[in-house]
Amino acid sequence: MALWITYEMTFYYVILLRLFTNARLLLRCAAMTETDCCVLDEEDFRRCCRLLLQRSEQLRDGWSWEVVQGSDEGYLRKTALRSVPDPQTSTCSSRPKQSKEEPDCASSLVPDSGRGELDEEDDGSCIVSEGSSVVLQYEYHILYSSSYSTPVLYFRAFTLEGRSLTLEEVWSFVHPNFRLCLQNSPLNALSQQEHPLLGQPFFYLHPCRTEEFMKLVLTAAEDKHRPMNYVLLWLSLVGPAVGLDVPLEYCIEPQPSDPE
Amino acid sequence: MASDSTEASSSTSDLKLQFAPFSSSLEAGFWHQLTQKKLSDYRLDESPKCIKGYYYNGDPDSLPTRLTLEFSAFDADGPTPARCCPAPGTLYNTNTLDAFKATDKKALLEKEAKEIWDAIQSGAALKKPSILSKFILLTFADLKKYHFYYWFCFPALCFPEGIKIIRPPVNLENVFSAVQIAALQEAYDGLCIKRRTTVAPYFIMKYTEDTVDLALLEDWETFFTDTKKVTVGVYDPCTLSQHPGWPLRNLLVLLAKQWGSKLDLVEVLCFRDRTLQGSRSIHHSLIFQIKLPELSSNSVCPKSVGWEKNPKGAMGPRMVNLSECMDPKRLAESSVDLNLKLMRWRLVPSLELEKVVNTKCLLLGAGTLGCNVARTLMGWGVRHITFVDNAKISYSNPVRQPLYEFEDCLGGGKSKATAAVDRLTKIFPGVNAQGYNMSIPMPGHPVDFSQATLSQAQKDVQQLEKLISDHDVVFLLMDTRESRWLPTVIAASKRKLVMNAALGFDTFVVMRHGLKKPMSQIISTEMDSSPTCSSASSSSSTPAGSGTHVPGSSLFSNIPGHKLGCYFCNDVVAPGDSTRDRTLDQQCTVSRPGLAMIAGALAVELMISILQHSEGGYAVASSSDDRMNEPPTSLGLVPHQIRGFLSRFDNVLPASLAFDKCTACSPIVLDHYEKEGFIFLSKVFNSSHSFLEDLTGLTLLHQETQAAEVNHTPTHTDTNKPKMDNTIY
Repeated sequence: MALWITYEMTFYYVILLRLFTNARLLLRCAAMTETDCCVLDEEDFRRCCRLLLQRSEQLRDGWSWEVVQGSDEGYLRKTALRSVPDPQTSTCSSRPKQSKEEPDCASSLVPDSGRGELDEEDDGSCIVSEGSSVVLQYEYHILYSSSYSTPVLYFRAFTLEGRSLTLEEVWSFVHPNFRLCLQNSPLNALSQQEHPLLGQPFFYLHPCRTEEFMKLVLTAAEDKHRPMNYVLLWLSLVGPAVGLDVPLEYCIEPQPSDPE
Repeated sequence: MASDSTEASSSTSDLKLQFAPFSSSLEAGFWHQLTQKKLSDYRLDESPKCIKGYYYNGDPDSLPTRLTLEFSAFDADGPTPARCCPAPGTLYNTNTLDAFKATDKKALLEKEAKEIWDAIQSGAALKKPSILSKFILLTFADLKKYHFYYWFCFPALCFPEGIKIIRPPVNLENVFSAVQIAALQEAYDGLCIKRRTTVAPYFIMKYTEDTVDLALLEDWETFFTDTKKVTVGVYDPCTLSQHPGWPLRNLLVLLAKQWGSKLDLVEVLCFRDRTLQGSRSIHHSLIFQIKLPELSSNSVCPKSVGWEKNPKGAMGPRMVNLSECMDPKRLAESSVDLNLKLMRWRLVPSLELEKVVNTKCLLLGAGTLGCNVARTLMGWGVRHITFVDNAKISYSNPVRQPLYEFEDCLGGGKSKATAAVDRLTKIFPGVNAQGYNMSIPMPGHPVDFSQATLSQAQKDVQQLEKLISDHDVVFLLMDTRESRWLPTVIAASKRKLVMNAALGFDTFVVMRHGLKKPMSQIISTEMDSSPTCSSASSSSSTPAGSGTHVPGSSLFSNIPGHKLGCYFCNDVVAPGDSTRDRTLDQQCTVSRPGLAMIAGALAVELMISILQHSEGGYAVASSSDDRMNEPPTSLGLVPHQIRGFLSRFDNVLPASLAFDKCTACSPIVLDHYEKEGFIFLSKVFNSSHSFLEDLTGLTLLHQETQAAEVNHTPTHTDTNKPKMDNTIY
């Protein structure tokens, strides 16, 4: 009896699966013919990136195209510094254990080396800054995901000492407004993932909802017959969540616009 | 204290110029590269090395003045990021922490300061002004722990009595007209293009109402005809509105040394050039006037300062622990975790990985099943794995037992338990694996040949009891039925979850043993335990495909975990020596090679599903019928047993009740074990089947059955059963 059910179920399952796949394909085709703009293929991606780079050059926005050695694959890269409130002085999040221990470790070296020898003081020519914020180095990569047919934002963050932040720390530096929004939707969340081209651990914003919200924006733009750079538009939507702002000037095209 | 003095001095009329020191800023790439250099290039070489950092004058407000070193720092002649100013540095990488500590920092600073001073005196600094922003980096790389100790020094020559401000710093836009600012920007870009770079660290400047002229330091003599008042420009990385950055300091010493006697007043432009929101601006550059103090005419190098303070604001080195991102073992650990987390993020959001990862697993048997179970456990991120086996690796093992290799068979063969541990550690150094090369005493295998064998058996029992106590889940993966008896009894008594896997030729059973209720609850519920006394082999009495089954009304559905049977519950014979009087194929595990992988993997996956259930081992057993229903855990069903038939490529999920006459988990056996301990156990080891059968009442049952059979159909009285087929279908 149990066996019979299993076989029966498998049979239906296969049929359902086929129907479902076909339906999806059909939907997909319909979507493509209807609103061609919502699907980004790799060629489009590259073209969008080239346009973004051109504009970045003009705006000195720091984007560059990095090629992976020994392949023709590449990604957009930008680094930026963010000054964030020091979690040690504010109470909102816990400071990683390390940073508490490290200064102690290091300063235990001082008695041998520093004191006496280096009673340097600069007769007041050197200002002392009060640090109530920490500075983080962010590195952003934009890659193309062929599985999702969308761009994906990868990033990682370091302290000024060169130590990578943990996922928990990265979360703590996401603006509270975004944090709630991202955390409530587990599939749209910030998570950790191996960089597909570099093989190193990165953080990324999960792309599975990208097509969905891009469709809304792009169809709106298309209705107004406004030329749109998919990657730029997408970046301006997802970037701010992780501290990456896209200047408005990107969208104010210099006149005359490029031949394309 | 120091900040107080800052404020105090700025309020007095006698203003002294103060500089914002550099903060060192290191990218992870720098440490990776230093590690590479140390390992493959420098090795034990402690001699100074040329490196390169850079600073930037386009930061938004509130960022500290930084000197940045990235992976490219070791390519001293390599390119610098656009619009960043390179700074040459010297790396002193010591071989030991002691050498790092013992390095004479004062002497190091004085040595570098002297070089700067010499370049200033000789005029070499005019042609190559980057020498003015030289820095020192003292490091020690502990590559065992991936701890990096470092201390930066940005040498600055000092005027003994400071520098007097004549006109305090203001933003350029308060002094320059828009026309002048535009002209300055154009002149600066022109100067950079002429130099074929994107920055000019130092420059000299003349301006009128609507023009700005710039030139390099080396052109001083021809550029300035009147030296009463000169204007010098410095590429300024500082963002503070009242203070210039560090690079100005040595320039002022250079000016004082070269032209000090001729200069009344020096106007300084701290050139800041940022692009915010796509628009470039130099309006916020600082401009101020100072009176240069005179340097004594002799050529003695002035006092110098420059060692960076640590994050506590004290003079001392810094340390960064990069084991998380550099130690291959830590990387492996975090990658394994990451892979599992992805499962949660993407597919099973409610998956509780901590429960899995922290589970301590005891694997009794390190053969085909043990190897496959261990590998699947590792895949799930389980860190604590202990093996028990008394066998050595033989030549036939490696092809079926994936933790062993040919080499392990040589010289009589390594012990399986220890070889398995070695291999697990090789596969994943983060594992906490241990191996015990020991035998498990078995019913029907007497231990009373001598006092020595008896005490050895006692020791083995004690060891096994301790191991079972110390673990959360016990896997029974041995190749005989009787060796499973003792751990079944101990684990049942200690309320440990038992996962059991056994192979036939092309059939297998994977099951969880019923988990007895905690002692405290048993006493209170003893009264209402009537259904547990049901007549043995439960669901197995329903022949598969008989067609009489009515969906949803199985007699044996919804059995809670504490009423589930164990491996021996379905048997009507006590375990005994199953290897005696057997042909070779009955003594050894002869099974289709894929079977152990399937069964081993299923045993682990069943355990994982049970761990995800809120009631764990007490979870109600799912049956084949439940395949249609809402699953009880995020991972699906929690069956009692999985019985697989490779010939039909089919699995079924029977569930069966605990048998009150079970030779292993029945109350009477557990009671005797708990009261008499080894005395009881040794009786079991030394006696034949009948001891346990008499104790549990099986003997009586046999007699009754036989009496009944005489009257009805004759059927099997098979006491010589194959290892696993003890359930009838």
